[in-house]
Amino acid sequence: MEDFVYFFTFQDPSIAWVVLGITLLGVGSAYVGTFSFLDKKALLGDAISHAVLPGICVGFILAGEKNPVYIVTGAFLSGALATFMSSWLNRNTKLSDDTIIATILSVFFGVGIVLLTALQKSGNPEVAGLNSFIFGNAIGISESDLMLYGGLSVLIILVLTLALKEFRLMVFDPEYGKAIGFPMKTISFLFNVLMILAVVIGIQAIGVVLMAALLITPGAAARFWTDRLNPLLILAAFFSVISGILGTYVSFVIPQMPTGPWVVVFLSFFALVSFLISPKSGIIFRYFARKKYLRKTHRDHLMKALYKASERGLPGLTIEEIYELYPFQKFETDYAISDLGKDKFITKNQQLISLNETGISDAMRIVRLHRLWELYLNESMNIAPDHVHDSAEQLEHLITPELEALLEQRLNYPTLDPHLETIPRDKK
Amino acid sequence: MITQVENPILEIHDLTVSYDQNPVLWNVDLSLPAGKLIGILGPNGAGKSTLIKAIMGLISPTSGYIKVFDKPMNDVRSRISYVPQRESVDWNFPASVLDVVMMGTYGKLGLFRRPGKREKELAIKCLEQVGMSGFVGRQISELSGGQQQRVFIARALAQEADLYLMDEPFAGVDMATETAIFQLLQEMTASGKTVIVVHHDIHSAMNFFDWLIMLNLHLVASGPKELVMNEEMLRKTYGGKLNLLTRVTDLIRQKDFNPLKS
Repeated sequence: MEDFVYFFTFQDPSIAWVVLGITLLGVGSAYVGTFSFLDKKALLGDAISHAVLPGICVGFILAGEKNPVYIVTGAFLSGALATFMSSWLNRNTKLSDDTIIATILSVFFGVGIVLLTALQKSGNPEVAGLNSFIFGNAIGISESDLMLYGGLSVLIILVLTLALKEFRLMVFDPEYGKAIGFPMKTISFLFNVLMILAVVIGIQAIGVVLMAALLITPGAAARFWTDRLNPLLILAAFFSVISGILGTYVSFVIPQMPTGPWVVVFLSFFALVSFLISPKSGIIFRYFARKKYLRKTHRDHLMKALYKASERGLPGLTIEEIYELYPFQKFETDYAISDLGKDKFITKNQQLISLNETGISDAMRIVRLHRLWELYLNESMNIAPDHVHDSAEQLEHLITPELEALLEQRLNYPTLDPHLETIPRDKK
Repeated sequence: MITQVENPILEIHDLTVSYDQNPVLWNVDLSLPAGKLIGILGPNGAGKSTLIKAIMGLISPTSGYIKVFDKPMNDVRSRISYVPQRESVDWNFPASVLDVVMMGTYGKLGLFRRPGKREKELAIKCLEQVGMSGFVGRQISELSGGQQQRVFIARALAQEADLYLMDEPFAGVDMATETAIFQLLQEMTASGKTVIVVHHDIHSAMNFFDWLIMLNLHLVASGPKELVMNEEMLRKTYGGKLNLLTRVTDLIRQKDFNPLKS
């Protein structure tokens, strides 16, 4: 608890700096990453982030120490080389995108690990710090690192905000952009530069292995919540910043704990929650929506059964008779009966359940839709009368009043369905 | 049956276009008059879209050149509006109908300037013209195919151009909408604009277009509807793939390099 207060009150200025740095990093990478996610180039970010490792090592060798400028430049150049090679291979070979990405990723990362291992054998005491580039160590960031990484983040955010319109066009409809005379090649080149920069700014805090998660996961999680670009970017940045700060906190509290994996844990948590509970696209919401729909269909079926009984001249059905119609849905039947009772659609007279006036009108509509659809299939689509029932059984719950009016009009207000049963209508 | 015109709005000179090294359009040579509703007809794979894309400069030709308003394309882009095929974009992109139509104003805005109130009003006006004013804030993935098509047309209108090139704007559009859009296009040509449309329904082509271009890997006909719409031209256009041309194309494809490149 003490740690918590100490960390989040920012008494220690170096913690305040680190949190500021991770915030800028989170916003920058979420911004760029959301665009690349929308552009279906999520894997490219992964390839670039692995591909910067050899550049980090070469930067270190040239500087002879952990000089952030050398390391960032090295990382940028090797990321750029990887990006260039992947687009060159794409243009000049028939290899598929995933093959190219996988090859670039593993080759560059392999070379990076070879260099790193060689450096570790060299006995230079500074080398120890290089390990943090694999999984990230936000707490280990020095103030001069921070100026560089933070400055680059600000640059990314500024460029993206300024050229929001251009990048929107690049992702949604680049051909059209070309048609109205925008330099789409330059714009997509600029985007690639931002993408590499977004990876580079995260190498110290998150590490090369997991940086791709910080690019892609925020946008993917936020996409569950919104259908608009601006809120999407803001929400993605929010997820990213919160996860970044929490990850930094964990690596502050537990010594030797790398930051990257924890940031990814928190991000994944946000993504999972979004996947589960977001309205419209979340699976829990969809589960309940479906369940509700199934209840409605069963209720419709019961009303239909009661209506058909009245067609046969019966005053109503007993509960046993209804159970018999739907032998495996006793529970659902009970629920629907009590629901219908609450809505005052049915009345129970001793043992007999029957529709009352409002109930009859509703039940009639379902039966009518069923029979209209059967007739439509039979007449307009030439489907045999014995093949139309199953489809009508499903569509009777779906057809809207507008569609019903259209059906009536097309079929010219018919009186009989293909099985010569009356199509019932309310008396005017 | 190719009618050339004086002072053409669009001149295509001996254009050959290839994908990779496959020629898909052979030696197209035509000129088009201003202020007309022009249809491009032809069977699947005849090179209709390719012709439009080549005019827009989206693919570079193997040989030949194109002049619009007597100038190279890049000098007059602001006067030309383009409607790509509906399937060419991902409609799940997070954007509203208004966002997409506003893209039509990007060309005049230029780089880095943001659309403002004027652009928004223009976009709404264009949506009204295509009968979509009730959908301004709608997420684009919720639209039907015909509605998406109309959004694209509204976007093209927002460009306020003089020449419109539309790639299959009637694909997936119901009859009533098709007629309404054709009427809109006719109003546009009546006010002096030129509209070129890739189309595949011969019946409605008969009714609405002033001028027809018929393609089948090469140019079969280009001229006023009354002159070119006859059985012979239709047979040449739709009477199956041209066996010899297809075999030459195969021959070219089998080379390990592009033999047409000098």
